[in-house]
Amino acid sequence: MIKLEQVTKKYGATVAVNGLSLEVNEGEVCVLIGPSGCGKTTTLRMINRLIEPTSGRILVNGKDTSQVKPEQLRRSIGYAIQSVGLFPHLTVATNIATVPELLHWDKTRIARRVEELLTLVGLSPAEYAGKYPSQLSGGEAQRIGVARALAADPPILLMDEPFGAVDPLTRERLQAQFVAIQQELKKTVILVTHDLDEAIRLADLIAIMAAGKLVQYDTPETTLSRPASKFVHDFVGSDRALKRLSRISVESFIKSAPTVTINASIKQAEAAIGSRRSAWVVDDKGQLLGWIDRTDLSQVSSISEGMVTLESKDIALWQNATLREALSRMLGQGFKSIPVVDEDTKLIGEVTLGDVEAATAEAEE
Amino acid sequence: MMVRQWVTGNSVAVTGSCLGLLSLPFGWLTLKASRLTAGTSLRLWDAFSWGVAAAIIVLWLLCLALSLAERDKRHAITIGITANAILILTFIFAGPAANRLTATGAEFARVSLSAGVWVTVAAVYMLVFAARQSLPDYRVWQNLISWTGLAAVVILLFTGWLNNISVVQEFLGRESRFQQELVKHIFLFGGSVIAGTIIGIPLGIWAARNRRAERPIFYFANITQTIPSLALFGLLIAPLSALSFAFPVLREFGIRGVGAAPALIALIIYSLLPIVRNTFVGLRQLDPAVIDAGLGMGMSRPQVFRRLEVPLAAPLVLEGVRTASVQAVGLTAVAALIGAGGLGWFVFQGLGQAAPDLIILGAIPIIVLALFVDAVMRTIVRVSTPKGLATGTS
Repeated sequence: MIKLEQVTKKYGATVAVNGLSLEVNEGEVCVLIGPSGCGKTTTLRMINRLIEPTSGRILVNGKDTSQVKPEQLRRSIGYAIQSVGLFPHLTVATNIATVPELLHWDKTRIARRVEELLTLVGLSPAEYAGKYPSQLSGGEAQRIGVARALAADPPILLMDEPFGAVDPLTRERLQAQFVAIQQELKKTVILVTHDLDEAIRLADLIAIMAAGKLVQYDTPETTLSRPASKFVHDFVGSDRALKRLSRISVESFIKSAPTVTINASIKQAEAAIGSRRSAWVVDDKGQLLGWIDRTDLSQVSSISEGMVTLESKDIALWQNATLREALSRMLGQGFKSIPVVDEDTKLIGEVTLGDVEAATAEAEE
Repeated sequence: MMVRQWVTGNSVAVTGSCLGLLSLPFGWLTLKASRLTAGTSLRLWDAFSWGVAAAIIVLWLLCLALSLAERDKRHAITIGITANAILILTFIFAGPAANRLTATGAEFARVSLSAGVWVTVAAVYMLVFAARQSLPDYRVWQNLISWTGLAAVVILLFTGWLNNISVVQEFLGRESRFQQELVKHIFLFGGSVIAGTIIGIPLGIWAARNRRAERPIFYFANITQTIPSLALFGLLIAPLSALSFAFPVLREFGIRGVGAAPALIALIIYSLLPIVRNTFVGLRQLDPAVIDAGLGMGMSRPQVFRRLEVPLAAPLVLEGVRTASVQAVGLTAVAALIGAGGLGWFVFQGLGQAAPDLIILGAIPIIVLALFVDAVMRTIVRVSTPKGLATGTS
C-alpha cells in the first residue's frame, strides 16, 4: 500500500532522513518511533508531500507520489497532528467537513458523514456539531482531529503524535478508542510517536529510527524479545516483559466481582461477600461507589456507614485498558484486585493480580 | 471605610462627577458687544435661572452619589441617563438664554458658550464612558447612553433652537462653505484610508511572508510615523511642485505642490503603519498547526489563504484600519495648512482672526466625525470577527 524506496532528505549539509526503505501493507498500523531529531516526522510529511524528498521514491498503491498533484494526493490521505490544528473560526461540524467540502460532496452527504464520525469518536453529534474549538477540552479536540482526518474515508491515515498533547488518562482512553476504531475501519496507518508504550500498544509493525536511518522494523513482540542492536535494546529498555503487557487488553481477564448495592441490608451483603474479604459497592444504577470489608460488616448498621468511598476515575479501569495499566493500578493502590467499569462508570467486573501474573508468565514463554 | 468605598465605586465616574460640579463657578455664557470684542461672562444662575442651576447641581450630586456606590447595572444606567439629561438641559436652556441676551444687547451682540458649558460637556462624556465600561454586555444601553445626548443637541441645532449662539451664527454665515469643507474632509480622510488599506494590506502580507522584506517595510512605516504631520505635509510640497513644473500635464489632475495631492500622499503614508503592522501581526500570530493541517488535508495555497488566513486575520487587520481612520480624521485637519481644505480650514481661520467660535465650528465636527468613524469601524470589526474567535463565547 505504502512503499518508501531509498528515501533521503537533506537540508543543506544535514541529512534528516538517510536512504530509508519501508513498506506498509494495507490495513496495517506502522508506528515510526525514535529519539527526537531521528527523522520520523520528516518521513511522515514526505508521504503526503508536505516535504519533498531529496532523492528516492515514495509509492502509494504502486503509484509514484511525485507524479500526483500534492493537493489531490493529500485529499486521499487522512492527516492528524499533535497540536490538532482545528480551525478556530469554524464549528466542529465544518472542521470535520473540510476534506469532503474540498471534494465537493453534496450537503446532505456531508451532514450525514459528520454525524457518523462524531458518533464514531464517541461524541454526541447534537451536542458537539455546533461547538467551536475553543469550547473543547484537549481530549475532545484530539478526537475531532481524528474524525476530521477520517472524514473523506481515506484508505491511508498519517498521524503525528495524535495523542501527544493530553493527560495520561485521556491518552489511554484515546488509544483504546483508536484500537477499537481501527479494528472496525482497517485503515493503513502510519503513526509517529516518541512514546514506546503507545507504539507497543497500537502498532502492527514498529519502525525504530535513529539519525535518519531505519534500525529495526518488526512486530512489537519481536522488537521486544529480539532487539536487533544494542541501540534498540537500550531504547526499548529493561522492562520488556512489562511492556508486553501493553499489548494485552484486560477485556478477556474480567471476572465477575462480588457486588452489593448501597441500599442492601447487612445480611444481603454478607451473603454476597461469602468467603471473600471484601465486595464492591455500587448505587442502584450499577455505578461504582466504593468497597466494603467483610470484617467491618459486623460493626456497622448500614452499607454506607462501612463503605470506603473510591474516586472511580482514579481507581477503576476502563474495559479497554491494558494489563499493564491494570498492574500499575494494583501496585499503585496496593489492591489485589481492580474494578473494571464501562463508559458510564458502571461496574462490570474486576481483574485480579493472579491473572496478571499468569499472563506475564505466558508472555515470557 | 471611605477608602473601601472609593475602591468599589467607579473612579472614572467619580472624577467626571467632580469635574461636573467644578463647572459651576465658571462662566457659562459670554455676552459680547461684537464678534471680536471681549465680553462679560455670566454664571450658570445668571445665564439660565436659579431653578435650572439647582436642577443641574442636584443631577451632578446624584451622579456623584451613584459613582461612589457599588458598581452595578442599574447604577451605571442611571449615571448614563443623568449625564445625558444634564447635557440636554444645558443646551435646551442655552438657546432661549441666548435669544434673551441678544435681544437686550447691542445690534451685533453675540452670545457664546464659555468654559462652564465645555467643562460640563467633558464631564458628561467622562460619565458616559464610565457607564459604558460598566455595561459590557448591554449593547443597546451602551448605544443609547452614548448617542442620545449628542442626537438631542443635533436636533436642537437643526430646529434652530440654538440659532443665537455665536458658534451657530458663525455656521449660518458660512453654511455652504461648511458643507464644502466637510465633504472635502471626508474625501481626504476616506480616500487616504482606502488607499492606505489597498497599499498597506499587501505590504503587510509581504512582510509576514518574507523575512527579508519585513525589516525595510517596517523601517519605512515606523520612520514616517515619527515625522510631525506638519513637517511631512511641508516636505511633500517641494517634490510635488517640482514634478508639476516638469510635467505640466500633472496639473490637470490637480497634482501641485499645495492642495489635495500632497495632503492625500501624507495621509496615506500615515495610515500605512497601523494597517501594515496589524496585517503583519494578524498573519504571524496564526497557529502554524492550523496552516499545516489545512495544507496537509489538501487545501491549495490560495485555499489556505482564503479559507483560513483571511478570516482569522481579518479582525486584526480591520482593527488597524480603524486606528488609521480615527487618526486620519484628526490629521486631515492639519492638511488645511497646505491648502487642502477640510474642517481644519475653520480652525486656522479662527486662529488667524482670533475668533474662538470659528475654531470651535471646525473642531467640534472633527471630534464628532472621529467618534462616529470609530463607532462604525468598531461595529465592522465586531461583525467580521468569526464567532469562534470572539472572546467569552460559551
